[in-house]
Amino acid sequence: MEEKKQKKKRGGIIGFFKDFTYGMATHGMARHALKTRSSMEHLFILITMGDMLGIPILPPYYSLRLLPHVVPQITTWKRRMLREKDFVDSMY
Amino acid sequence: MALADIFDKYPDRRYIMYGGKGGLGKTTFSAATAYYLAKKGKRVLVFSVDPQASLSDIFERDIFGQGNIEIVPNLFACEVDADRRVQDYQEEIRQKIISMYGMKKIPEEIESYIKASSAEPAMEESAIFDAVVDIVVKGDFDYYIYDLVPLGHALYYLSMASIYDAWLDKITGLREQMREYDQAIATMQRDEETEEDQIYNELLYIKERIGESSKIMTDTKKTAFFFVLTPEEMTIVDTEKAAGLFANYNVPLAGYVVNRVINRDLLNENIPEYLRNRIEMQANALEMIDDKFGDTVHSRVPEFDSEIKGLNVIKELAEVMFEEKLS
Repeated sequence: MEEKKQKKKRGGIIGFFKDFTYGMATHGMARHALKTRSSMEHLFILITMGDMLGIPILPPYYSLRLLPHVVPQITTWKRRMLREKDFVDSMY
Repeated sequence: MALADIFDKYPDRRYIMYGGKGGLGKTTFSAATAYYLAKKGKRVLVFSVDPQASLSDIFERDIFGQGNIEIVPNLFACEVDADRRVQDYQEEIRQKIISMYGMKKIPEEIESYIKASSAEPAMEESAIFDAVVDIVVKGDFDYYIYDLVPLGHALYYLSMASIYDAWLDKITGLREQMREYDQAIATMQRDEETEEDQIYNELLYIKERIGESSKIMTDTKKTAFFFVLTPEEMTIVDTEKAAGLFANYNVPLAGYVVNRVINRDLLNENIPEYLRNRIEMQANALEMIDDKFGDTVHSRVPEFDSEIKGLNVIKELAEVMFEEKLS
């Protein structure tokens, strides 16, 4: 532990600036990418294992019967499913 | 009990099915049973959903996708073209969308969803069973003989049906709650009436169809499911397993019919070793069959010296199967 801290400290001034620029420029992007990645992960699980959440995956033969009735909502539904909502979002 | 007695004793059993491994004679027995019943003055429809069109072969007539074709008086045969049914159905959905929203063209993502749906394996099964419901619901025949494709298919559908049924209940419940909200909102806004929920109606329809289609196979009053087997140890073991699986899904087993039994009298003649061995093997297997299935074996059909094809041979087979001379 002690040794590790020592190593980090040895970064000195240059290390500080490195960390600083990372924080300014990349951190936000990385965070965003991670979030997107995890939401894609969630979407994937939703598609493959929807039943776990009680989301019915109707046999395609019969779900087609429902399709005409939801056509106008498909776009908004997709947008909504892909949008994340947590308290952090509301801070911006 | 003889096969003919079974039919006499249970006249309510109007959905007849022969199940078993591929190539054991399901189609042959379906055709022969249809022939026998038709000769007895019943209106019979024998139908198949197998894309490999074996009824066409056995009746020596191309009937694939052509509706109910009369083969002999009272005997009708039908081969459902599942692919075309799926396509027609998809087209129907497209037309519905176009007319509901006055669109000129189906939006791309909707179109690709419709297209992709036909690639799903469950799609064809559902389409087939839906077609069967259409055929049976009309009710214009005394007997419906369902020439099943090999076992897995039917079992897969039955297990699907019970799962679908459970979540249909769930979503229908959800839809009902949504309806209550709609009504509450309507009251607050002082609207007289809420619009009818079409999705809810569709769900009820789907539930009814799925229930109907599994009922055809599981109705203890109306369904008779026979297993076809041959006197070979492996077939017997497989059949026993399959019978257990079907019993789990409450398919009413009406008994067993043994096919391809070689005449034992041949042993008294000068026959090659090969045939002698086969007859001995069959004797052992037949003993095993008696042991396991006892008096639920309703008929033993001999091995024919020609392929079962054409009405003359079907008649001959029906006569030995039902132990009765037919006009």
